[in-house]
Amino acid sequence: MLKVENVSKSFGPVKALRNASIAVGAHEVVGLIGENGAGKSTLMRVLSGGMRPDTGTITIDGSPVVLRDTSQANRYGIAMVFQEQSLLLNMSVADNLHLANEQPFTRFGVISRRRMIEAARERLAKVGLDIDPSQKAGELSFAARQMVELAKALSLEERTNTPLTILLDEPTSVLETKDIKILFDRIRSLKSRASFVFVSHRLDEVLSISDRIYVMKDAEVVAERTAGATSVASLHAMMVGRDLDAEYYREARQESPGDEVVLEARSLAVGGAYRNVNFTLRRGEVLGVAGVIESGREELTRTLFGFLPQTSGVMLIEGREANLRTPTQAVAAGVGYIPRERRTEGLVMDISVAANITLARLDATMRHGFIDHRRERAIAVEWIQRLRIKTPSANQVCRNLSGGNQQKIVIARWLTANSRILILDHPTRGLDVGAKEEVYDMIRNLSAEGVAIVLTSDTLEETIGLCHTILVMRDGEITARFDAPPHAKPAQVALLEHMV
Amino acid sequence: MTGFAATESVPVSFAERVRPFTPLLLLVLLSTGVNIAEPGFASLETASVVIADASVLFLLAAGLTFVIMLGGIDLSVQAAASFASMVVAELLPRVGYAAFPITILAGLVMGLASGFVHVKLRIPSFVATLATAGIMTGLSLLMEGGRTVSLTDEGREQVAWISGAWLSGVPNVIVIAIVVAIGGMLAQRYTRFGRYSAAIGAGEPAARAAGISVDPHKIIAFGLSGVFAALAGVVLAARLSSGSPDLANQLLLPAIAAVVVGGTAITGGVGSIGRTMVGALIVSIVRIGMTYIGVNIFAQQIVFGAALIFAVFVTIDRSKLPVIK
Repeated sequence: MLKVENVSKSFGPVKALRNASIAVGAHEVVGLIGENGAGKSTLMRVLSGGMRPDTGTITIDGSPVVLRDTSQANRYGIAMVFQEQSLLLNMSVADNLHLANEQPFTRFGVISRRRMIEAARERLAKVGLDIDPSQKAGELSFAARQMVELAKALSLEERTNTPLTILLDEPTSVLETKDIKILFDRIRSLKSRASFVFVSHRLDEVLSISDRIYVMKDAEVVAERTAGATSVASLHAMMVGRDLDAEYYREARQESPGDEVVLEARSLAVGGAYRNVNFTLRRGEVLGVAGVIESGREELTRTLFGFLPQTSGVMLIEGREANLRTPTQAVAAGVGYIPRERRTEGLVMDISVAANITLARLDATMRHGFIDHRRERAIAVEWIQRLRIKTPSANQVCRNLSGGNQQKIVIARWLTANSRILILDHPTRGLDVGAKEEVYDMIRNLSAEGVAIVLTSDTLEETIGLCHTILVMRDGEITARFDAPPHAKPAQVALLEHMV
Repeated sequence: MTGFAATESVPVSFAERVRPFTPLLLLVLLSTGVNIAEPGFASLETASVVIADASVLFLLAAGLTFVIMLGGIDLSVQAAASFASMVVAELLPRVGYAAFPITILAGLVMGLASGFVHVKLRIPSFVATLATAGIMTGLSLLMEGGRTVSLTDEGREQVAWISGAWLSGVPNVIVIAIVVAIGGMLAQRYTRFGRYSAAIGAGEPAARAAGISVDPHKIIAFGLSGVFAALAGVVLAARLSSGSPDLANQLLLPAIAAVVVGGTAITGGVGSIGRTMVGALIVSIVRIGMTYIGVNIFAQQIVFGAALIFAVFVTIDRSKLPVIK
């Protein structure tokens, strides 16, 4: 029995885990669900030895253990199958399976490839994968790679006496339906040899595979249910944990957009990613794009900011044809971008708040062709006050600020650059609830000021709650279009029907 | 508003506050140190020698600073300087004063070429500049079959404005270095190029997403590196009254050391021309100080190697680098 008790972990001011406790019994599949940023991945990393908790204990069969790193977690029979797959694609399947554990095949410092491949074949058989172990991992399908990872995790049983616990972090996110079924069959048949922790935000999957389910929300474990005694709907309610959705998303402040069309897409397409995308975006409108992974919506978002130029079709910005080949052209055309990767794409972390705010339009600070630092500071101070950015000064380096304040700085930058269209790419990812609410307020403010917004979000509720109009995409095409006026919002299931 | 933790900013530690001033402190410590070991070091005369020596090094390192701030490296500066010394020595008898702008232009072209190879052909800057260094060295060797070109008497007169002294004995080299330093510092603080360089060096993806055209800026930085290296080459040729394919050969390590010891991070983002000026002075003090107190001249490269390792060790924040390659 593996037990995690009262584990907490903070990153600077952000609490990623707060007194989280879970237990995993022998031959049990435990589900772990929660929204993005609820703390699931952090808990998995603590369990797999990838991260030390600030406080709390981990026990195996009652005796406390310290998981200093992955290999130590391995010694206690805990192995992780990673969300971003951890196979080295330039090496063979056999090499991958035995990576960092070549000793049994080594004699006088020389590795026997033949014996390694044989052993690999045995291991692959355990997960029902019939492939040539000398094949490069990069040549395999995602589903097969996942199975190789599983085989790798399972191979721990040869090295340890303790019962295995295998952590599966979002294993289905890259799989197709038939492969998910195969994976689940394997998990069920392997239950006799190991316990599993299954992390996902697809509730139906979790419900069908797990014996017991823990629900996480805002860095805490908020509920524990046996699979037989709960439903997708009630799990969902616990995970989201709020009833006042209308208020939460500031629906009362949702005003009708203007008539003026600022952005129009006509038969927009990018190679194999998406095609025949048509829509109009009006002044002050918030347009949501919903869709699962590989629906093409992420690529569409990147096209709108010039990262991924369309291969056919036309984009019109304020009535003029705009061929955005680079972000530089997008910015010049009045488009701004708020990325999901705030730390790498959103802000230059090690330059000042003021420099970040003026980065997209340095002209605003210039006098006779040179930067006027007083003018720059004045611009920064104005935004710091208007958006209530909490920073000791305009000269503060951005790295030291909280996520919500960093997000405000990105918004201030685009407002300084006079962007009339903002592409919001998962703008609340990794923010805590309060910071999210501030972003929602900001979206309403921007919309009221006439800024047109294209939004992709991690959750359907957010999309539905915030948007005037919602496009649903599936397999690279728009499958439905919903109007979402305040207090007459479409239901999630209605959207879901067109997503999968 | 809920959700924002009370600690909005991490207090800056004492070490963080002091860090930018450590090179200056080191400079003072070193000069007093050498002076204690060998009284008489601190004279106007030696100071003038040290600063003139630092000036040449600084010119070479100044251009390099732009490249390093962007997170790249230019290993071709010594080859570019030697190449420039050959070009200027060859051209002076033929075209007179026009030799100076032509040489600088040649440096610019070679620098831009390095930048183009690095940015457009997507070749890591250390390989790209190592290759262009080879090309420039080859060109210098071909010019006179590897021989040194001495300046004629007329040539010496034409370079007098560089090799001479100003007013009561301040070498003109120092004046040139000061002009370059002030220009560089102003460019970094007040121009678009300076701001974008800092942004690109500190976070290229974010700079790109802010709409900055990253590629041309990088190429220009390499162009500037070529210009300053050529200027250093011209100055060296003037001071030594000759051009030679290996004139600046021992200067690459000290030049990189000057940039890094001054406090510019080898990983980019943090740094300035001003810091490189301090770094160049430190390196020159060490160089001349070592000679002064009798350290074998062949042993000096050992000291620079060690100093470089130490300087990189203290200036970069490894916690921000996932993998060191």
